[in-house]
Amino acid sequence: MLTIIYGDAKDSVYNTSVYFKNTYESEWFDSELVKRIIKDVDDSEVLSGECINSPVLGQIPPERLSGGVKTLLLMLNEPDKIFNASTCGDNCAKWILEIGKNMDLTINLRHMMSFGKDTEFEIKVKNSGEVVHSMKELLPIASKYLNVMRQE
Amino acid sequence: MKGAHRIIVETRKIKYDFVINRNITILTGDSGSGKTVLIDMIREYRRYGSDSGVTVSCDRICKTLDNEDWEYQLKETEGSIIFIDEGNRFLFSKRFAELALASDNYFVLATREKLPMLPYSIHEIYGFRKSGKFHEAKQKYNEIYHLYGEITDKDGVAPQYVITEDSNAGYEFFSELSRQISISCISANGKSNIMKKLQDSERVTGKRLVIVDGAAFGSEMKEVSEYLALSGQVVLYAPESFEWILLSANVVPKVNVRHILQDPADYIDSKQFASWERFFTELLADQTRGDIVWNYSKKKLPRAYLSPRVMNAVKRFMKVIVWE
Repeated sequence: MLTIIYGDAKDSVYNTSVYFKNTYESEWFDSELVKRIIKDVDDSEVLSGECINSPVLGQIPPERLSGGVKTLLLMLNEPDKIFNASTCGDNCAKWILEIGKNMDLTINLRHMMSFGKDTEFEIKVKNSGEVVHSMKELLPIASKYLNVMRQE
Repeated sequence: MKGAHRIIVETRKIKYDFVINRNITILTGDSGSGKTVLIDMIREYRRYGSDSGVTVSCDRICKTLDNEDWEYQLKETEGSIIFIDEGNRFLFSKRFAELALASDNYFVLATREKLPMLPYSIHEIYGFRKSGKFHEAKQKYNEIYHLYGEITDKDGVAPQYVITEDSNAGYEFFSELSRQISISCISANGKSNIMKKLQDSERVTGKRLVIVDGAAFGSEMKEVSEYLALSGQVVLYAPESFEWILLSANVVPKVNVRHILQDPADYIDSKQFASWERFFTELLADQTRGDIVWNYSKKKLPRAYLSPRVMNAVKRFMKVIVWE
């Protein structure tokens, strides 16, 4: 099940790009799901565990994938950790839901991600413990906790 | 720093061409749209110059800020356009907001997080749209934001309920306009309460109109636009500010600032004004100072601004909002 912590989350990985660069493994790219994610979000093809073919940039190493894709790959491969999913655009939302269907996943959101106006889902908001099933249910709860996020 | 500045960043494979208009610009949107690629290119150009294979064309220095001595670097920088990518925690700090708003630089921030301490405009939130090699900066939100796209003059909005961000002069004005057509108008007492007021007014039948100062509403825009998409019965009207409406409607005798309104960026010093909203407030107050009838005060709106002539001029200026 997908659990979201809105606002500040203790022990979450904030800079997912740097974390990915230093921790990713080439075996991660053998997965069909990973290949589909990279095709859908970055419009790129996995050539090997160290080489991605981007239509704009040409052949690139994994660390040059988009911030959103890198965070999705971290969620998939290190589900025990909490990652800052505000590095993901709304085009990553369906993949976050997909990953959350297959495993227990907790993410940190520091902005109002849209999971789709008409999408049905099951998300637990950890701040309050409530389980919500649509954006209509999620929006007021998420908004409340984003509003009290501290700026230090 | 003043003015609009065109920036072209290019390699053989990719090209960005866009204009920065004021102190804070936000790059947001989908993953994979090229925000980080742009910032990486600027960083490499700054470090290696033409050896980088990157070309940067701009009448100001473009640089990136991303390391541990950001505070020192920011204090030492003037007259530049500073790009900051997501992942830098300092972007969210009070200290950064203080330094950025007092500095003589423009900032381009790639982030989805809301930054309520920075009064950025809804008009300066962009997402990149790819077309082959070219990345075009596309404005995410317009002055009138509505689920079903642009509203035309033909199908204007007749509100049944009005929420203003403002609690002073702007609220007084729209409260009077609403009273004349027997609808309710409430003040949210600030931008961070708009969502709450929208949720509290869900039982209202008909269109709800939210009026905010677009020049400083950027941090709330993602949440409010998601709400608008779900509701379908809310319209957001986000001009630069209430004072900008009064100046644009040209309602105050002997005050003509059309030249400023045409190109505000050429007149607004980012170091002096954290947002355009503050500039237009000061401009209207300056232009009417000493005039016993029109002397503008944000705290208490002079009676002259509630006269039928001013009210009608503002109604005409708001075009798509039907106050009948």
